[in-house]
Amino acid sequence: MAAITEAKAGNILTLNNVEVVYDYVSLAIKGVSLAVPQGGMVALLGANGAGKSTTLKSISGLLAAERGEVRRGEVAFQGQPINALMPQDRVRLGIAHVLEGRRVFEHLTPDENLIAASAVRSRHDAARNKDRVYSYFPRLFERRGSAAGYLSGGEQQMLAIGRALMTQPKLLMLDEPSLGLAPFLVAEIFQILSRINREDGLSVLLVEQNAIAALEIVSHGYLIESGRIVMHDTAEALKRNPDIQEFYLGGAENKNFRDIKHYRRRKRWLT
Amino acid sequence: MDILLLLESALNGALVGLMYSLVAMGIVLIYKSSSVPNLAQGAMVMLAGYVILAFANQLHLPIWAAIPLGIVTMFVIGIGIERVALRRLAGRPIIMILMMTLGIEIFLRAGSMTIWGGTSRPLPIGISDSPLFLGPLLINRAYAVGAGVAVVMFVLLVLFFRTRIGVVLRAISDDYTAAWSVGISVERGVALSWAISAVVATIAAVLWGSVQGVDQSLALLLLKGVTVAVLGGLDSIGGALLAGILLGIVEGTASVVLDPLLGGASRELVDAAMLILTIMLRPHGLFGRHDIERV
Repeated sequence: MAAITEAKAGNILTLNNVEVVYDYVSLAIKGVSLAVPQGGMVALLGANGAGKSTTLKSISGLLAAERGEVRRGEVAFQGQPINALMPQDRVRLGIAHVLEGRRVFEHLTPDENLIAASAVRSRHDAARNKDRVYSYFPRLFERRGSAAGYLSGGEQQMLAIGRALMTQPKLLMLDEPSLGLAPFLVAEIFQILSRINREDGLSVLLVEQNAIAALEIVSHGYLIESGRIVMHDTAEALKRNPDIQEFYLGGAENKNFRDIKHYRRRKRWLT
Repeated sequence: MDILLLLESALNGALVGLMYSLVAMGIVLIYKSSSVPNLAQGAMVMLAGYVILAFANQLHLPIWAAIPLGIVTMFVIGIGIERVALRRLAGRPIIMILMMTLGIEIFLRAGSMTIWGGTSRPLPIGISDSPLFLGPLLINRAYAVGAGVAVVMFVLLVLFFRTRIGVVLRAISDDYTAAWSVGISVERGVALSWAISAVVATIAAVLWGSVQGVDQSLALLLLKGVTVAVLGGLDSIGGALLAGILLGIVEGTASVVLDPLLGGASRELVDAAMLILTIMLRPHGLFGRHDIERV
């Protein structure tokens, strides 16, 4: 018990047995517990539909927009339970959520996207944050005047991250930032994330299907399957784990696709 | 055909059209900030007319005090409509919200009939009946004032949408969820857009009330407003302004040409034709945004 309290003190975010239901009936995550240490970078890995996005939404409070709710368990930020807070209050506390699929404001320019994202901060802070975002992503500055809908996928992802940074987060959560991007762009974006984490001490919770890229920059990782955390270890250990290699790192060189599929199915039934 | 008469009708038509734009701008305002087409905008104009009359007649205030009080009252009513009727529908299918605005329209019309009855009441604001002369052309003074006010409102609204809060409203209309994710209070933003739209409706009520008096027929301005808003592109304030002028001119000249042949109803026919043709031929209107598709 003492160990848990101790760990809690060093964690910016803790989830304790969180259960989420949509529409009062369908259970999306079934008792997820995880922690992000202050200033740390943690990955949440898993397949499609495993409950990664739902977990993030339970933290940012965006479940309500989809008629979902945390039915059991506690989400705590900096030691305080936040289950009852509105999304904007969580943003004000310092939780930023970069949505899956980028979701930039398409008809606004990048500049206006950033201004719109500064609603919970003062005008003065907004100007300073905007300079900072442009210094991280000079390409956004070059394209600041054209509608965001016309930016490339990589630029939109940078804008989505920049928009989140405008809220002055203490914890940045990203949902599949590598989705649909060329590998060199993924590398570039992940480098910038590491840099912000290093320089400003921003804590990061990274949700990814692209485990190879994610495990390169995080210190710890959780593996979620069918709404449950099934594994938690350091990034190094996860990279060496044969199951992770099998499922998420594409490590099975000497088996054909059919064998893998069969193996995976069997494996899932067994767990 | 008398060319002077035609010109005069076109010119007065353009001015009336600008007054239609004022109703359309209220529709555009709400659409631009929450993607909801508000079918109650005409009824809000009517309600605003009654509210101002209540201040002027029941409380015996001079008209120049009743108008600002009416604006404040309608601002609050706009917030109230969002809070009571629309907030619980946030995130629901747009058709339900559309039906809700239709319900509000019917409610306001029926409610005003119950409270104030159906007789038309004058709303004099001190514009003289004598026409203005532009060379040989006679111009209706009330229309000219109304058109001027519409242009001023247009400028104010365009400036508003460039401010920080205006940008936030446009962001809400683009993507509710993304707006929530960056800490925007979507509910408050939508409430503000209803409040501002109610203020625009009040200004339209003053001008239209002074022209045709206040009764339930003011709610029929919805038809002109919707036609102009759709023609202009639903989310473009500038589009609403130009579409208003266009509809006014077509309406004015068509009534001169067609009324003797058809016996009266040609204005409404022209409106209906404009609305139907716009939706068939140019669903995004003259200046409406298209959904952006990257190639």
